[in-house]
Amino acid sequence: MLARVRSWWRALTRQSRLEEEMAAEMDSHMERYAADLAARGVEPGEARRRARVEFGSVPAAAEECREAVGLRWPDEFIRDLRYAARVLRKSPTFTGAAVATLALCIGANTALFSVVDAVLLRPLPYPQPERLFSVARHFQGKGSNAYQTNLWGAAWEGVRDHASYVDAAVFSDGSMGVNFAAGGRVEYVKQQRVSAGFFRVLGIAPLIGREFSADEDRQGGPAVAVLSYALWKRVFRADPSIVGQAVTLRGEPHTVAGVLPAHFQSSVPADLWTPLRPSREGEGGGSNYAVVARLRSGATWAQANTQLEALGAPLLREFGQDPSTEHLRLISFQRGMSEYVRQPLLILWAAVGLVLVIGCVNIAGLLLARAAGRTREMATRMALGSGRAALIRQMLAESVVLGLCGGAAGAVLGWLGVKALKALMPASLNVWQAVELDWRALAATACASIAAGILFGLYPALAASRLEIRAALGEAGRAVAGGRNPWPRRLLVASEVALGVVLLVGAGLLIRTFAHLQGLDPGFDAKNIITAQLSLQDARYATNQRVNQLFDKSLTRICELPGVDSAAVALSLPYERALNTGFKRLDGPHPDTESQITNMFYITPEFFRVLRMPLLRGRVFTAADSRTTAEVAVVSEAFVKMYMRGDDPVGRHLGDDGDRREIVGVVGDIQQKSGWGDGAPTAAMPDIYIPATQVDDKFIPLVHTFFSPNWIVRTAGSPEGIIAGMQRAIQAVDPQLPFAGFHNMEDVRYRSLAQERFQAVLLGALAGLALLLAAVGIYGLIANSVAERTRELGIRLALGATVSQAMRAVALPGVALALAGVMVSSVLAGFASQLLRHLIWGVRPGDPLTFAVVGIGLLGVAAAASFLPALRVTRLNPAETLRQE
Amino acid sequence: MNKPVDILQGTLDMLILKAVSLGPLHGYGILLRIQQISKEALQIPQGSLYPALYRLEHRGWICAEWGASENKRKAKYYSLTGAGRRQLKSERKEWKRLAIAITDVLTAKPEGV
Repeated sequence: MLARVRSWWRALTRQSRLEEEMAAEMDSHMERYAADLAARGVEPGEARRRARVEFGSVPAAAEECREAVGLRWPDEFIRDLRYAARVLRKSPTFTGAAVATLALCIGANTALFSVVDAVLLRPLPYPQPERLFSVARHFQGKGSNAYQTNLWGAAWEGVRDHASYVDAAVFSDGSMGVNFAAGGRVEYVKQQRVSAGFFRVLGIAPLIGREFSADEDRQGGPAVAVLSYALWKRVFRADPSIVGQAVTLRGEPHTVAGVLPAHFQSSVPADLWTPLRPSREGEGGGSNYAVVARLRSGATWAQANTQLEALGAPLLREFGQDPSTEHLRLISFQRGMSEYVRQPLLILWAAVGLVLVIGCVNIAGLLLARAAGRTREMATRMALGSGRAALIRQMLAESVVLGLCGGAAGAVLGWLGVKALKALMPASLNVWQAVELDWRALAATACASIAAGILFGLYPALAASRLEIRAALGEAGRAVAGGRNPWPRRLLVASEVALGVVLLVGAGLLIRTFAHLQGLDPGFDAKNIITAQLSLQDARYATNQRVNQLFDKSLTRICELPGVDSAAVALSLPYERALNTGFKRLDGPHPDTESQITNMFYITPEFFRVLRMPLLRGRVFTAADSRTTAEVAVVSEAFVKMYMRGDDPVGRHLGDDGDRREIVGVVGDIQQKSGWGDGAPTAAMPDIYIPATQVDDKFIPLVHTFFSPNWIVRTAGSPEGIIAGMQRAIQAVDPQLPFAGFHNMEDVRYRSLAQERFQAVLLGALAGLALLLAAVGIYGLIANSVAERTRELGIRLALGATVSQAMRAVALPGVALALAGVMVSSVLAGFASQLLRHLIWGVRPGDPLTFAVVGIGLLGVAAAASFLPALRVTRLNPAETLRQE
Repeated sequence: MNKPVDILQGTLDMLILKAVSLGPLHGYGILLRIQQISKEALQIPQGSLYPALYRLEHRGWICAEWGASENKRKAKYYSLTGAGRRQLKSERKEWKRLAIAITDVLTAKPEGV
């Protein structure tokens, strides 16, 4: 085998030499023969003539030699392709339909592949990315098999001290806006907090300077920062002497330790990095860390993972988790960082693949119909000595040409598709690397095109080449009732419908989910609200008193602005994820011994009035609720439902770690991103509201590490007009505090459902495409059968059948096929919808309404696609049809 | 001398392998050697010799090398490879089986059937 490949390759690459040698060899053969003949006494001229005659045709022998070393098939392949292009040009309608179908299907695949590639496939932009891992928690139990990459402080210390096969670092997998002042300008920049060694583990050396030392990465260590290349260039004009100098960050001076190279991208977009200072308390007391680990040279994944699982069990037990259903495990860093978008992306990828299959099935149907019209051509070629293999090869060449044309057009559509996807894409998909149409996507497109060409071309080619030459040449096309077996094509159409149903049901469920989430009662009046965020992760705002002074002064100034109705500050906004905290019920019928979980907001008193949230019981906060008065809380209705179970909440007490707060009121629910529980994109969550004046001093720096408080302003008219006024108001209070940007509540809500919108729109578009393809498939089938059965129908009409009877006769198979496809695929769609169960909300996987609408809708489309071409029967003139005999 | 017979389909490869197994030969030399060994009984169609040589070389059973010939002209010499030797052996075995079988058929007597 190897010898043949080598010989073929040699022949192919040194073809001219081969030709020379071949000619020389045969020439010398004839000369020698002629010389021998001459030696036997034949006259030299005659000898040469005889030598040539007896040798036979030199070109024929040469051609056979070429074939022997495998040189013929590239030639033939090119000839086949040329012929295919000529044949396809002759039937522009068919070619156009097929290429358009393919272009749409391949374009969709190319665009989505770009996203999948950027997020899941393309190696991370670090050296030896295959040796980078995430330390993940693997939940394995009844029906669950999930990974989470958030760890707590003690777990990090265990990994740091005992996982000897890896070099690990810890970081916070999110970036927070912080206040940055340098060179006379104040900016709100994105900060990511990482431990010493983070950049070393990733394999990235600073462009200038150094990364954090262990000394800087502990509580109370020197304040330092590492800058991104972009920030360094923008603010310091790429001045290398900045290293070692101080910048004001978070309200205090930080020394610049280094600058990272331009190409560096962290796990989240960030402008600068500061030491994480991991600990077991505060932030480290909860699962707020992520750990990246690089295998040490010589170590294997298996060694490192075994060691990690062993040291994980006691850590998990100590953290109150069950080590029999949860393990620590090393998963690829890429997977660890993309785990939460992995499943939806894979589902979308499968869906877009399904659309390509439907497109291929459709074109296969078209090719079958076309093959029927080419029976004579095929039979003639076979009668003239063409082999079956040659015919199949020829027809495959046609489909490969179609595939390549479709692929080229698809690449263009894919390029447009990538642009559209980028606009629609949730920010969570835009980590690591840019989504773009690169050579990887184009290579995938090329492969998909050729594979598609073979996929849809193979069956029709095999079917068409199975011919009875004599029958085909003699009687073809003369049978009274069609005569060709219609079943292969019918099955193709039915399977197209079946696959379409699967996609439509999936899309239906996601669209219903989106509609459900979009339609949820926000719980507040979102009109004429504008919000802006400030970072208070700032040394100057480390106490309750300083923070509340800022709130008071800024809100007073903002309320004086013309057009402002009311204003408040809250730790988080509706639709966003809120702070989770533990609490215990201290009295009532169900006092707690273990902590319960809830969302918590601190707010200024006007909050409920600004958002127009209804007060259901008791009272809301007033300016009188201060540091010195009794500690109070207001809870949400969902909180009462979840934790109070019929008990009157007003007057009951909540607390944790020694504090004690009285519930003074109950307000309506607002929509929030649930950070715990079932993980719904938005839901009415249990909330505890506390007055900003009563937040503990210890608590202030901690919450402001994770959350930037929001200024929420209600205006009388359009809120955009007061942005400048708000900026002036905050500058008057503190010129070093920049607002992060202004959003109205519609923006906030739009962002909160970005992923659901992305999924619903994408799958909806794919399902729409599938429906279109199925309709085209049915239309083509019926139109073709009308054409094939013209004579039969003419005879029927002549014999007294009515037009509607004739129409039914041709159109009903289309409807029947669609019905069969729908029935078969309801089962299939039932399974497929189970795959979506983690992505759908407010609707069950087997939602009868979705199934019914899809089924009936598809049958309606099928009926239309069947009867439309059947209308041609009405234009049939029986007399004329029969005269054509 | 009898009239030369056309060689059987498929036996040309075997004859070529045998011919070059006795020592490297150029194309015309192979033709002569087969005719000489068979005492002119086998007639090889000259046009099909070279495709056969290229096929055998492609399969790795013979290899070719340019060398000087008896009259100082360059010629392409073919010789047997290891794989070719094995192939020749197995073809010879096949041929023997076939020859015996055909002989048996042709010499069968009425009572034996």
